[in-house]
Amino acid sequence: MNNNLYTLITGASEGFGRALALECARRGMNLVLVALPGPELHSLSQFIQKNFAVKVIAIEKDLSIAGNCVELFKNVTTLNLKVNILINNAGIGNTHLFSDGSISFYQKQVQLNVMATTLLTRLFLDSLEKNGPSYILNVGSLCSFFFLAKKQVYGATKSFIYFFSKSLRNELAGSNVHVSVICPGGMNTNLSVTMVNKKMSWLSQLAVMNPENVAPIAIDGLLRQKEVIIPGRINKLFLLLNTVIPAYLKKMIANHQMKQLNSMSPANNRTLLQPSFAVTYPANIKPLIN
Amino acid sequence: MKIFVTGATGYVGNALALKLANDGHSVNVLVRHSSSNNIPVHEGIHVFEGDITNRGTLVRAMHHCEQVYHTAALVKLWSKDKNQFYRVNVEGTENVLAVALQTGVKKLVFTSTCGVFGASLKEPLTEGDPRITAFDNDYEFTKSIAESLVKNYVQNGLSTVIVSLSKVFGPGIETHPISVNQMTKKFIDGKLTFIPKPGTLISNFCFIDDIVRGHLLAMDKGINGEKYILGGANISYTDFFETIRKITSSKARLVEAPKWCAKAFAAMYWVKQRLSGNDLFFTVKGVNHVYCNKAFSSGKAIDHLGYQPTEIKGALEQTINFLKTSKP
Repeated sequence: MNNNLYTLITGASEGFGRALALECARRGMNLVLVALPGPELHSLSQFIQKNFAVKVIAIEKDLSIAGNCVELFKNVTTLNLKVNILINNAGIGNTHLFSDGSISFYQKQVQLNVMATTLLTRLFLDSLEKNGPSYILNVGSLCSFFFLAKKQVYGATKSFIYFFSKSLRNELAGSNVHVSVICPGGMNTNLSVTMVNKKMSWLSQLAVMNPENVAPIAIDGLLRQKEVIIPGRINKLFLLLNTVIPAYLKKMIANHQMKQLNSMSPANNRTLLQPSFAVTYPANIKPLIN
Repeated sequence: MKIFVTGATGYVGNALALKLANDGHSVNVLVRHSSSNNIPVHEGIHVFEGDITNRGTLVRAMHHCEQVYHTAALVKLWSKDKNQFYRVNVEGTENVLAVALQTGVKKLVFTSTCGVFGASLKEPLTEGDPRITAFDNDYEFTKSIAESLVKNYVQNGLSTVIVSLSKVFGPGIETHPISVNQMTKKFIDGKLTFIPKPGTLISNFCFIDDIVRGHLLAMDKGINGEKYILGGANISYTDFFETIRKITSSKARLVEAPKWCAKAFAAMYWVKQRLSGNDLFFTVKGVNHVYCNKAFSSGKAIDHLGYQPTEIKGALEQTINFLKTSKP
């Protein structure tokens, strides 16, 4: 590995982003880690520097603000860092009824999931070409193939990521920039998401993976220039079933799921963890990938 | 001083309550069954029957107490009732915190586990290091949630300190079938002992006397809202048992078991325990927890609290003397 090249990962301080950072460090890649301001980013970069022989640059940025994406690019350019792998991982998840979400939440979600990915890809494209062979990994979601209740906006943003990645890949075919999209299913990314995952049905729980197991699959797939990366056998099976089962059956399953969601009483669904995350960030802007 | 201790029928809580009483404090302990054999007996120890999952009993037992040591937890890897971990380790902790705040407790020390940090890589883990794997057992998961609750209560105005213990050994009551003490006892009795392969995997072993002292230091000098690792030696499994061999000249065979063996054993153990309706202290998933480095640095506690871990050989000698003289 050329020691002057860097892998840039957004949303790196927690969950899947952190797992990706550790996986890249394990493979000897230098890192530019970007995350919301907070101690987690710095403790991760110190941890990686202590345990792996790679260079780590930590940059605090809230990428849901468009200007910060531009600033990030300027910072990287000023530091003269040659990025050859861009991983657009930062994103905000949601699992609630559309009517329960605020306008500002959806704005932030679309801004981060859609705009930050688009802007950073555009901003870094020229330098990626210059530092090639280069790779772009966009983090989509399995949920963009299923039209899940309570995941309306999230699923839609991930559909954008899927379309954008595949389309851009076609456009860049023959160039030295390779675009991949990974569509993971549920992952135990942080305490509150893990808690939600534990409450799901056994079938859904079976599909839940740990970020540290998905990250190697992601980087392997990226370096092998795979177009779409679906981690996990169960997730692949879900996707296969989705293409073969008839529409009316899907409707039945969706209806059943909706009933289950509605029967979940607020008491059972206590968001006990929210206050603790509010200590460092407002709960709704923690980067979650689901 | 009047002090409240939860988990006094547990290994650490029991030793801690006795130490506090010996130091002349008046110690209130909360026990689920007053018939338990593990209740520390001392004239300074006052026994209250109750449960941390019941706030009313906590209010009674914490009345007029200035300090609280919350050592009670459900410590195992698996339970028939999955919600039990949440009820005891999370809701129980929230009850203790809420009542402590309400009754005007001056400071609370929360006993947690290095398991919340997970595996280490090259360097021993420190308090600020991130966890590199997801939680796959309910014990560590619920202890981690409990830690975030404890930190929340700092904002609410309760003075708290978290101490994270590694693998504790040394003289005391036996409350867990797969403890370092039990493994040590089997080894000095000449029984075949399995350690993970490679035996060079590092673990952290801490001595009960240090842990008790560490709790008192955390109460005395610990900074509100901070967390301190109370560990001991970072030592490989092979070196740990070879140190015991040097002290006892045990003839026990030490065998490095590959991971798949441990997994197969765990699967058989699962069948056996499930058929007999018993709880599990070892699981197939739990095997992963043993087959990795678990090195921790007690540097922060040493620098800030004056924590002084006993040198491993001396600690093992005391433990072996105790194990040889205690009833099986």
